[in-house]
Amino acid sequence: MRGLYVHIPFCVKKCAYCDFYSLPNCLDYLDPYIRALLQEAHKYAGLSFETLYFGGGTPSLVTPDQLKSLLNGLRGEFDLSTLVETTIEANPESINREFLLAALQCDINRVSIGVQSLNNLELKSAGRIHNAAQAIKAIALAKSTGLKNISVDLMIGLPGQTWRSLKHSVERLLSLEIQHLSVYCLSLEVNTPLAENPPENLPSEDAQADLFERIRELLQADGFRHYEISNFAKTGYECLHNLNYWRGGEYLGLGAAAASHIEGIRFKNRANLEAYLKRPRGQTIEVEQLDIKHKAEEESIIRLRLLEEGLNIKELTNKYGILFTQEIKTHLEENVMSGALVRQGNVYRLHPSRVLTSNPIFASILSQD
Amino acid sequence: MENIRNFCIIAHIDHGKSTLADRMLELTGVLHTTGKPQVLDSMDLERERGITIKAKSVRMPYQSQDGNNYILNLIDTPGHVDFNYEVSRSLKACEGAVLLVDASQGVEAQTIANAYLAIDAGLEIIPVINKIDLPNAMVDECRQQLQDSLGIPGNSALLVSAKDGTGVNELLEAIVTLVPPPKGSVDEPLKCLIFDSFYDTYRGVIPHIRVFSGSLKHGDKMMIKSTGQIHEVDEVGYFTPQLNPSNIIKAGEVGYVGAIIKKVGSIHVGDTIISPDFPDTPAIPGFRHSQPMVFCGIYPISTNDYIKLTAALEKFQLNDSSIVYEKESSAALGWGYRLGFMGMLHMEITLERLKREYGQELIATMPSVIYKVFTTDGQFSLIDNPSKFPDPSRIDHIEEPVIKLKVIVPTEFVGPIMELSDAKRAKLVAMDHPDKKRAILTYDFPLAEMITGYYDKLKSVSRGYASMDYDFAGYQGGDFVKVDILVKENQVDALSFISVRESAQTKARGLIHKLRKLIPRQMFEIPLQAAIGAKVIAREDIVALRKDVLAKCYGGDITRKRKLLEKQAEGKKKMKMVGAVEVPQEAFLLLLKMEE
Repeated sequence: MRGLYVHIPFCVKKCAYCDFYSLPNCLDYLDPYIRALLQEAHKYAGLSFETLYFGGGTPSLVTPDQLKSLLNGLRGEFDLSTLVETTIEANPESINREFLLAALQCDINRVSIGVQSLNNLELKSAGRIHNAAQAIKAIALAKSTGLKNISVDLMIGLPGQTWRSLKHSVERLLSLEIQHLSVYCLSLEVNTPLAENPPENLPSEDAQADLFERIRELLQADGFRHYEISNFAKTGYECLHNLNYWRGGEYLGLGAAAASHIEGIRFKNRANLEAYLKRPRGQTIEVEQLDIKHKAEEESIIRLRLLEEGLNIKELTNKYGILFTQEIKTHLEENVMSGALVRQGNVYRLHPSRVLTSNPIFASILSQD
Repeated sequence: MENIRNFCIIAHIDHGKSTLADRMLELTGVLHTTGKPQVLDSMDLERERGITIKAKSVRMPYQSQDGNNYILNLIDTPGHVDFNYEVSRSLKACEGAVLLVDASQGVEAQTIANAYLAIDAGLEIIPVINKIDLPNAMVDECRQQLQDSLGIPGNSALLVSAKDGTGVNELLEAIVTLVPPPKGSVDEPLKCLIFDSFYDTYRGVIPHIRVFSGSLKHGDKMMIKSTGQIHEVDEVGYFTPQLNPSNIIKAGEVGYVGAIIKKVGSIHVGDTIISPDFPDTPAIPGFRHSQPMVFCGIYPISTNDYIKLTAALEKFQLNDSSIVYEKESSAALGWGYRLGFMGMLHMEITLERLKREYGQELIATMPSVIYKVFTTDGQFSLIDNPSKFPDPSRIDHIEEPVIKLKVIVPTEFVGPIMELSDAKRAKLVAMDHPDKKRAILTYDFPLAEMITGYYDKLKSVSRGYASMDYDFAGYQGGDFVKVDILVKENQVDALSFISVRESAQTKARGLIHKLRKLIPRQMFEIPLQAAIGAKVIAREDIVALRKDVLAKCYGGDITRKRKLLEKQAEGKKKMKMVGAVEVPQEAFLLLLKMEE
């Protein structure tokens, strides 16, 4: 399985917590940027993909014409006949009927909406430019337009957030019958406005943990499955594109700051719009080719993020060889002994109580040399 | 022998001793102006801290103004307070001393201490006021201070700027005219003082010697007075300042002797070398084995590096025979060594040198003094490690080492310094006023209090003006308890400390509080306790970790995630395990800084 990721690094306004590569007030660059994307795509012409994901930034800022020309262009370079899932990220304020129809015409079958919260004070303090009513309307519109796979992003730990306000947001979302929910804890990243001026009513890490545990209960009671550390889905609606990441699969990333994993090599484009527009095919940086042992370790820790699927040690050994997986198995068993992991046959899974404290477990699997 | 002058330069830290030595070496043609400062202070650390750690000597030819040729032997002295004994031995090798005073600082504690050592050794003292080129030079005040504090006629002081060379020629002339030539005869039986030594990989221990009578040459037999060991002389020579072999070294001269002495512990500063033909030649008075006063444990960060540490220490001791070490093991830290030092500064410098010169990352546990522990069976033992204290029920009483501390300070700082010292259980025994502006405070001071940051605090409360000097004074009793630290019910031997009962709880609470901040939250709750015997006197809990997770996978940037986790794994490697608890190394340094 191979995925294609297309990065659209433009926003109307930067959110207060965001440290991703995206630029506000640059919509004039969309046309040349799409041309550049297609130029870069030509470098990899002929590849075929099963999933396609437009991420951002705010991909929903593209006009219907731009979206169509981008997709047509990509079809010209790649074999997209095998696509089973095409996702576009969208923000509530930029979702309208026109955009949604264009998406459907482009065979986009999944939309991921950056709702974050349904509490207007929380949205404001996070620097979001939409309000709760817009978000609810956007979801309803997507449904009525014919999208059958709707995902929503939700944030835990927004300023002023309480269990009451969060519960309200979640219950309202569940009533809209969405299929997928990504639940992220807010983290203060350096050089973001929120980190520089953290408000006093920011929930603590411990409070975030409490909120997460309670959300999980609520979602599971509604039939959602906690299939990845930050992701919940109704059966059959797991995000295939992201699953591919966690399974150590191949993907190509196009656009400024996009990351790729092709033939075991990870590489990334420079996070520089101007440079990208000038030379879209010459932005590769941070090329990383791990040796077999480290590659096996990497796959182990990312697969363990998949809470249901887990890590199958037999498959890992078949792929990398016993010489390079022996030590991993030892570490996995140590973690089973301490109760951090659960083993069932050949499959290791995170203990449900350790989902939010999984970093030390992953770190213990990485060899220290 | 009439043309030999043996002298040393004595001064407070940073008064310009090494710079003055450089100028003398240039003027006598021993070295050309290289632009490389402080030839005798060859270690980076010596230059950085402005102190001479390792004494060195040099022989300079000098033609005086009347046309006569002289040999000037400059014998360098270690420049810090922990090495009084070594300084006294260097002085013993001389007939004269240049007493150097920084014109901008005036007479300080070590100026006085060293001047008295020189006077006691019967040396001719040449007072010199240095750094007269500085805009804040206060020459008249310095003259007055020399007079008032030391009874040295201030008007006789020479004015020098070692930096620009002013007055150095006059000083060389003064050395020739004022310092008496050595006495003693080549025809008398051999008698040499060992005032330093170093280790050469091929030639073994090379003692630095001053010959008082007789002579030594290749093939001679020599005997170490205190041990009776006999060695055959392989090589003798002078310092130029490199080793420069000569045929013979005679009464009155200063130089070195090589005799393939492979055992480091067999040569001690202050010992006498005599001829085995005259075994009854008396020893030069004043010899003693220097005793370490301050101890700490050192442990490799990775237990695999223990062998490396062992090798580093063996090599280190060759160049600093005043450190002692023995194997020690700690439940928390694994195998390491317990090191003994002459004092706190000696300890700091040694640890720093071990790190730098041998590339060793180390955990050093808090320093301890040697307690005299009297048990109920009427015995007593000397214990330098709190974790080795016997059970409280077996202890009758405990005595601690006390030093005689002299602090010189401008009068306006007397208040803060008395306050600081009172808090350290110091007993003021005298306060003198050598002049209008300054006071000398003399204390009986518990050494244990000295080594927990007194010197740094002294400097800070006096804005750098206070200077101090000390000497060992004896033992005194007190009401001491051993405080143990428990991390999740496991005692951390390396964190046990001794305290007077009165302040044990305050100290324990402070320590536990700091530990709580230092130990990261883990998957379980961690109670931290301090206890005297079975009685808990302080407690705080570290609550269990709730959240340590990487959430977003932004466009599949797995590399970034993995790197974060690798960093975490790297950090974990540096942790020490106490039971199931990961304790960062910093925790073991806590007590050093406990009172801040």
